[in-house]
Amino acid sequence: MADFRLTAEDAGQSAGLIARAQAGDLAAFEEIMRLHERQVLSTALRMLANLQDAQDAAQETFLRLYKSLSKISDAQEIRPWLYRVTVNICNDEHRARRRRQTGPLSGPEPVSPALDPEATWHESERSRLVEMALKTLPQKERAAVVLRDVQGLSTREVARILGTAEVTVRSQISVARGKLKKFTDRYLRKHL
Amino acid sequence: MSCSEWEHDIASERESAELQDHMRVCANCRQFDRELRANVAAMRSVAIDERAFDMVRRRVLAEIQAGNRRATWRMWPVAAAASIAFLCGAVLWPRFQNPAPPALVAFSKAPTKIEWSAKPVRPVPVSLAARREPLVVKMLTNDPNVIIIWLVDQKGD
Repeated sequence: MADFRLTAEDAGQSAGLIARAQAGDLAAFEEIMRLHERQVLSTALRMLANLQDAQDAAQETFLRLYKSLSKISDAQEIRPWLYRVTVNICNDEHRARRRRQTGPLSGPEPVSPALDPEATWHESERSRLVEMALKTLPQKERAAVVLRDVQGLSTREVARILGTAEVTVRSQISVARGKLKKFTDRYLRKHL
Repeated sequence: MSCSEWEHDIASERESAELQDHMRVCANCRQFDRELRANVAAMRSVAIDERAFDMVRRRVLAEIQAGNRRATWRMWPVAAAASIAFLCGAVLWPRFQNPAPPALVAFSKAPTKIEWSAKPVRPVPVSLAARREPLVVKMLTNDPNVIIIWLVDQKGD
């Protein structure tokens, strides 16, 4: 399970970068983005299921980080802060989409490391199914399951980021996983 | 406990010795657990092209630089006003510190001289006819029907 706390070395490096970025060093800020871009963009992509929207969300997240640099005193704060802001921006985007009444959008094709063609097809199909199933989840369940299962955070960390109780997160994750499984089962029974 | 209850425990990651015991004997629950893990693995298998990250970074940096430029342009009027205020201050401050003495008032014209004539002015003689005529003074009152007439003889009575 991944831990969103940085190692001492990473924390020291991040603290130095944050101090330089706070002083207006754009190269340092670019380095901060490189350190956290995978975390931000993959979360946004799983939340929004559309690469272009995810890029917009990631851009907005990093711009908010730049404006809030002065408020971040501890390098350990940066990762949970980025998760929280990414989830909030994605939730805002969901609400905006509902207002616009647009249909589901396509995401990127997941890549599987498996070499067996049949296994590759199955995994690729499951990826596509899971992606479709994620779109059907309510926002809170989706955020909980993305942070827990995609980002690999602990239930406590997810609860801290989402500002809810651990027991609530545990329940949301359990319900979301059940729904995802039902969705994939139903589809696989019908089409395979 | 039924399998659906065990499945709830599996999905909630409740780890207990009882669950482990049940999993050892129940093929359905093991299958359920495998499929959940496969779904998690599928969710994590998101592959993002490196160009997507580059694009985000470029857009963020461009936006920050554009914001900085906008901030600089917004500062120009303030800087100009501050410069003008400074110049005015630099010019006016010494005057406030050492006010100039009041300007001297110079008379361009000498005061008019009053000359006394050496000879005294003699009184003009009044003619006799004019002396004999009494002086009539008519005094009007608020009432237009009442007029006070005052006759003054030569003696002044």
